[in-house]
Amino acid sequence: MNRLIKIEDFSSCREQLVEIDPAELIPLPPPYDKIEKPPIRKLTDDQLKRMDASLDGVVAIGLPPPSGPEEEKAFIDKFLAGLAKLFTVENNWTFLQPLVHTLEYCVKCQICSDSCPTYIASGKQEIYRPTMRPEILRRIISKYIKKENSLVRKFKSSDIDLTWQTLARLAELAYRCTLCRRCAQVCPIGCDNALISREIRKIFSQEMGIAPKEIHEKGSVQQLRVGSSTGMTSAALKNILEFVEEEIEEKTGRKIKIPLDKKGADMLIIHNAGEFMAWPENLEAFAIILDAAGVDYTLSSEIAGYDSVNYGVWYDDFQFARVAILQSQVARALGVRKISLGECGHAHKAGIVIADRVLVGDLNIPRESTLPLLEEIVMSGKIKLDPGRNNFPVTLHDPCNMVRLMGIVEPQRRILRKIAPQFREMTPHGVENYCCGGGSGFAITQSTNFPDWRNAVSGRMKFKQILEAFQDVPGPEVKKYVCAPCSNCKGQFRDMFEYYGAWKKSGIMYGGLVELIVNAMVDIEKPFHQWEWH
Amino acid sequence: MGTLIIVLTYIAYVLIVTIYTIKVRKWLKMPPHIRWDLYPVIHEKHYRYGGSYYEEQEWWTKPRPKNRWRSLLYSLKDNFYMGEYYKKNPLYWLFLLPWHLSFIFIIAFHILCFFAAVSMACGLEIGASSASLSGQSFYYILLVTGGFSFIAGTCGSLGMIFIRLYDRSLRTFSMPMNFFNYIFFLIVYGSGLIAWLAFDPTLDEYRTYWLGLITLSAPALHPMTLLHIVLFDLFLIYLPFTRSTHYITRILAYFFIRWDDEPNQRGSKMEGQIIELLGQKVSWGAPHIAQGKSWAEVATEPGFIAIKKDSK
Repeated sequence: MNRLIKIEDFSSCREQLVEIDPAELIPLPPPYDKIEKPPIRKLTDDQLKRMDASLDGVVAIGLPPPSGPEEEKAFIDKFLAGLAKLFTVENNWTFLQPLVHTLEYCVKCQICSDSCPTYIASGKQEIYRPTMRPEILRRIISKYIKKENSLVRKFKSSDIDLTWQTLARLAELAYRCTLCRRCAQVCPIGCDNALISREIRKIFSQEMGIAPKEIHEKGSVQQLRVGSSTGMTSAALKNILEFVEEEIEEKTGRKIKIPLDKKGADMLIIHNAGEFMAWPENLEAFAIILDAAGVDYTLSSEIAGYDSVNYGVWYDDFQFARVAILQSQVARALGVRKISLGECGHAHKAGIVIADRVLVGDLNIPRESTLPLLEEIVMSGKIKLDPGRNNFPVTLHDPCNMVRLMGIVEPQRRILRKIAPQFREMTPHGVENYCCGGGSGFAITQSTNFPDWRNAVSGRMKFKQILEAFQDVPGPEVKKYVCAPCSNCKGQFRDMFEYYGAWKKSGIMYGGLVELIVNAMVDIEKPFHQWEWH
Repeated sequence: MGTLIIVLTYIAYVLIVTIYTIKVRKWLKMPPHIRWDLYPVIHEKHYRYGGSYYEEQEWWTKPRPKNRWRSLLYSLKDNFYMGEYYKKNPLYWLFLLPWHLSFIFIIAFHILCFFAAVSMACGLEIGASSASLSGQSFYYILLVTGGFSFIAGTCGSLGMIFIRLYDRSLRTFSMPMNFFNYIFFLIVYGSGLIAWLAFDPTLDEYRTYWLGLITLSAPALHPMTLLHIVLFDLFLIYLPFTRSTHYITRILAYFFIRWDDEPNQRGSKMEGQIIELLGQKVSWGAPHIAQGKSWAEVATEPGFIAIKKDSK
């Protein structure tokens, strides 16, 4: 059993709190059961001097230690100022009710712990319990915000000494939760400990300007500045679309002009820009299907209009709102009737659901998922399909944001049942799915040794699930497909399969849903899906 | 002493109702929040697999029926079953369920006592050999609810002390207040159990006490019954200061957070509330948030627009 970490240790312990021990991680089936290397690279001495890694030896933010007591005090004061703002209507009406409910009514029954894939996969490391972050926050509130007297604090075990170290560890710990909200789903009291992770991130971002670079500086800030978190400009987009059109012609012989900035189109489709950069076959497949079905749509070349990502949803209300508003403004300027989102889970939740209570007046343009549209196209017979072309084992990954957090469960399944004869479910699936391990920005966080942690710990449960779904065909000779209708999840699968060598050892490939649809189209001569690892 | 008991009981009931009402009102008064729904949403048509109206094309043009009764039943029935606990930690469930049920049953017992007392004041005889069926029914219902609550509360409180100490994950996050509560509740239920089994097996004294409460006449009670009633009154006064309001707020959280899938529509009351909230000035201190601006102004900050234009 792993070492019992207490909340007091967050302040008092000078050593690294937890060392991830490969022997304690949940076991994987063969050939992944052998521990061949330390799962997480050690940071160099230089990195350790520059960045705090005292939580678990892993760095997502990597706060630099303070230069002296004054800087430490200023840091703590700033955090406390932000924490106080979290409980004011004007600053945090967005999440005040669920936040207060969770902090006041959680009975710490730990029912949520066994639902957390990170906690379980880590071998039940205490620091990763979903209740750990809220309890630290609750204690800080008791002592420093409510200023409850010491007797009350003793009675409620709510004492804590707040140091720079405590906060540095808390900041990192907020980025060890994928916000998959499995914990919230099982809470009998209706508490949401994942939300607390987000609210802690929010204090650091909105008050202190601290967030992982990939999410803020190179993420939402870059998206607002140049148009996409990938750095892709409007001009680059046009080049990529030309490339995509050429690829379509080469692969299918079809000449398709992808509509761009078409005023008055019925719908604006916004894809995750990751598809443009890493998986253009997803765009190609979308273009082929929509063209074949005669759908009146357009893409946009305006800022934020060609990248559906909205990283703010993971850490910052204003960054979130800015992107959502820009996307709606683009749609309004084009005069489209609705916005439809491509295969990206968090963009679905952010753009369709969460933005709902930020967009008012004529910015509140109807928004929907492309999945029901794809289902209608597949089921209606508008395109002719031969499931025999997808006669290989296929399993479906449920992106948390799209499924558990917004209830789009069946359209993608009905499509797969029709086009993939060897489709099989993972266990559990649907709204009880496990996160890919790359949720809440993890898949794009590539600094230092964080990707190792993500692959070894937060993604481990999903990897185990995938292997189990294909346990009847474990060898690499049978090629297998993990269908992930989410760009972020695909990014995680790319890294995770690479990390474990899953393509070589088990023949497991990942991809989107539309690629399989096009692969089944009878009037496309060559197989659209290529079994080439990328 | 009889008069004192009546006064204390009234104070206890007034306090518990008042404080619970204030707490629930405070909960409900919080502003509308960003949607944070979590599926399955029980009022949805496809709740069995967790489906939502987003599974349909152009969902905003279609009716969105909500089965609120199903939701209410779902949220209430869990009070009597606590299924997640059974699934995740059966040993904990074994003690938690009777402990929880004892709260529900003791409140039900007291409400029934009130009606029994009103019926007695109107001339109904309550007892095993009562001439009327209602009198006999009251007798047995009171015996079952009261008896069950005393037994379940005593066993449950003892069990909770044990499990909080035995289970590492529960122990780590336990606080002295938890154990104070278990011990206090054990004394309250235990005293009721002793009073019932040893001195008042027909609960005749309890009915007399309640008749005294509604007729404002001091009852003559056995000291053990008296002690239990004093403890129970203190229990009522203390309860609102614990997390016990979750009996109510958990249902509110289900309806107003987890299952709140109501879309914001143009010109709706919700939109009006949001516009008001967007107009409030924020004071976050990070460099990317302008000072002295409203929520809406920060979210559409001109600085960012200027940067965008420059980059074109």
